[in-house]
Amino acid sequence: MTITVAGNEKEYDAGLTVTTLIAAEEVETPEYVTVSINDEFVASGDFETTTLKDGDNVEFLYFMGGGR
Amino acid sequence: MENYNIDEYADITDVVCPMTFVKAKIALEELDDGQIISIKMNAGEPVQNVPRSIKDEGHQIIKLLHNEDETYQLIVKKVEDE
Amino acid sequence: MAFTNEQMERYSRHIILSEVGVKGQKKLLNSKVLIIGAGGLGAPVGMYLAAAGVGTIGIADADTVDLSNLQRQVIHTTADVGKPKVESAKETMLAINPDITVNTYHEFVLASNIADIVKDYDFVIDGTDNFPAKFLINDACVLAKKPFSHAGIIRFQGQLMTYVPGEGPCYRCVFKSPPPPDAVPTCSQAGVIGAMGGVIGSLQAMEAIKYIIGKGELLTGQLLTYDALKMEFRKIKLPHGDHCAVCGKEPTITELFDYEQAVCGVNYDE
Repeated sequence: MTITVAGNEKEYDAGLTVTTLIAAEEVETPEYVTVSINDEFVASGDFETTTLKDGDNVEFLYFMGGGR
Repeated sequence: MENYNIDEYADITDVVCPMTFVKAKIALEELDDGQIISIKMNAGEPVQNVPRSIKDEGHQIIKLLHNEDETYQLIVKKVEDE
Repeated sequence: MAFTNEQMERYSRHIILSEVGVKGQKKLLNSKVLIIGAGGLGAPVGMYLAAAGVGTIGIADADTVDLSNLQRQVIHTTADVGKPKVESAKETMLAINPDITVNTYHEFVLASNIADIVKDYDFVIDGTDNFPAKFLINDACVLAKKPFSHAGIIRFQGQLMTYVPGEGPCYRCVFKSPPPPDAVPTCSQAGVIGAMGGVIGSLQAMEAIKYIIGKGELLTGQLLTYDALKMEFRKIKLPHGDHCAVCGKEPTITELFDYEQAVCGVNYDE
């Protein structure tokens, strides 16, 4: 299946969960990333059980703490 | 539109681009919708650019008068935007 | 209020713009913006807002200028090292534009004082470098119904979003609560390219100006991210958090509180 991850089209096997995608995309600080699928947030407790389907648009939102 | 009464006068002959337009714009801002102003400006760049810029802002150019001393009088009717 | 000849000339490039004009410039001169953090983000924000003629600028920061700040905090100079950042920032802003008023708050923003500082301003800039402060600013602005610009920078990356009461999600809708102290690197540990503050801080200043003059579209409901190495800007749509603890339908946060600071964040910046 084809999904869009942070604006880029990617090929993944069907049945991919958010947790697996986070590992595959080598997301930095995976415990603290916010994930949205098709412009809806996914609760971090649901990462294991949420499976992606063809055409999904996934965004990772990262904590960015700097400013000084 | 030949009949008009001038409500205000402005003189922008003492400044150069872009202050000519800035000064004209500020003078226009002070007017109420429909009021008429006569703006005195120099030949050359001011008379080439200022009338066009004022028109682009949505105001109505009534007339451009050529004075004896090579300056111009631009007669403008204020059109309130919003 | 009529413009003086000096104001006419100083703000001429604004007045010429049809979106600003005389009316917009008067709005700027009558506006009040609070900048929390006089660091990498706060520096360009303060300088551009001062230059733009934002009539009253508040600047809050408890720190003093350190040599390591000067790589990015362009509002301070080498001669300012050791001086309170708010004083150094005020001097620079007034040197750029003596037409404005600068209020200084030489203190950390905390649950105990932030509401009192924020209440006098029309728009707030988050230029802090730590999560406790970022969440506190969010909560204080949501509860006081003040619009604010969030931003964060690290390494070669930056992000920002704008909160306007009733018009979109807040920072806490996206990021529920701060990560544990030191779990996510901040730029004092991770480093940051100096110009990043310039890019993102200038965008924050732009949001404040657009909000004040009432023109254009703000970054409400969107997170703008910038990756300097890829030279890529992206706008990520943010859903509204109906269940948000502070701005949701049934909020559980109804008064302000402080989160624990990271141990190595002692040099933090608001």
